[in-house]
Amino acid sequence: MGEMEQMKKEAEALKTQIEAARKAVGDTDMASAASGVAPAPRVQLKTRRTLKGHLAKIYAMHWSTDNNLSSLSSIGVFRLMVSASQDGKLLIWDSHSGNKVNAVPLKSSWVMTCAYAPSGNLVASGGLDNMCTVYNLKTPVIKTVKELDAHTGYLSCARFLSDTEILTSSGDTTCALWDLETGKQKTVFLNHVGDCMCLSLSPDMNTFVSGACDSLAKLWDIRDGQCKQTFQGHTSDINAISFYPSANAIITGSDDCTCKMYDLRADQEVISYQDAALNSGVTSLALSMSGRLIFAGYDDFNCNIWDSLKGEKVGVLSGHDNRVSCTGVPEDGMCVCTGSWDSFLKIWN
Amino acid sequence: MDVYCSNNVLQARRAVEQLRLETELQRIKISAAAEQLVQYCQEHRRADPLLTGIAASSNPFKDKKTCVLL
Repeated sequence: MGEMEQMKKEAEALKTQIEAARKAVGDTDMASAASGVAPAPRVQLKTRRTLKGHLAKIYAMHWSTDNNLSSLSSIGVFRLMVSASQDGKLLIWDSHSGNKVNAVPLKSSWVMTCAYAPSGNLVASGGLDNMCTVYNLKTPVIKTVKELDAHTGYLSCARFLSDTEILTSSGDTTCALWDLETGKQKTVFLNHVGDCMCLSLSPDMNTFVSGACDSLAKLWDIRDGQCKQTFQGHTSDINAISFYPSANAIITGSDDCTCKMYDLRADQEVISYQDAALNSGVTSLALSMSGRLIFAGYDDFNCNIWDSLKGEKVGVLSGHDNRVSCTGVPEDGMCVCTGSWDSFLKIWN
Repeated sequence: MDVYCSNNVLQARRAVEQLRLETELQRIKISAAAEQLVQYCQEHRRADPLLTGIAASSNPFKDKKTCVLL
């Protein structure tokens, strides 16, 4: 038997073993387990702010953290966020006033992602230029501090661990951990066989999950670079992924029009969020503070709100005139932001 | 062996190694995992503004109506 034949055989045998192990612990599903829980109330949120300023499709947004709230509030600025548009700009907004605090012109307008560092000092962007560019917001004039250039495919997502480390996911099927002082990749996470589309850092920052066009989600150890777990179930590209606040589960959103919850310790899908009437792909997702509500952005211009425990749709955010491309809930859970191809960001609560 | 062939072999080897690793995982019953997840949600529900609703007076995004003297 040739090597390929042998490996195929072994792979099949191992897959069967894994499926059997999953079945052995699959004694129920989330909806059944949550049958005793009171249903989530019907969620009706109002648009509190419509942020106008971008001149083209918005592809990404990211909230700043609580870290420098007090120093900012003394100068009348509160919750900041960054947005990225294919008009070639990053805009930094003060969400409370709706005012633009900063504008960062991009070398490449084909941006797909943006990120705010937890410190509030740095922001990053990346896209079809295959690079992740990091900017310092605190210098008198905003400066490019690093251009992280090693991916051989588009940059789909970036997330800062600190001012010295950033994680990226790429269309070249890899994710990477970069040292921002040297500008080099410290670790390359190699296991997906399709473009990596999204990533989410665990609350303790020791692991992260990625979603890819191979319809798989993978859990990685940041320090040893290994893929620890693989989650199947989706039948198309996974465009959005997020850790549950409890850190033991993840939520994914896909072009197959569903969102799913995978429990990390049971190592399998425990509930799917879907509706026969919904036939648009999921582009983005964000969770409310307790994890109970999932805000999922769709290609059909809406953001649907799901009860994460019971799997029921409990609300919808309608108001955009084009695809919802990004969603985000800030650290204090006080609102949800949606960004759209209609060039606007809306803040709801 | 041409490059395409050896890439396939490399990918297949990687896939088998990964599967071997994942077979070793200790899994817990969904019932136990779900119970903990439900508990987490319940414990944190009161601190979830989007779930409980936000009073107008404490909503930083609600425009406060001001009285205008005519």
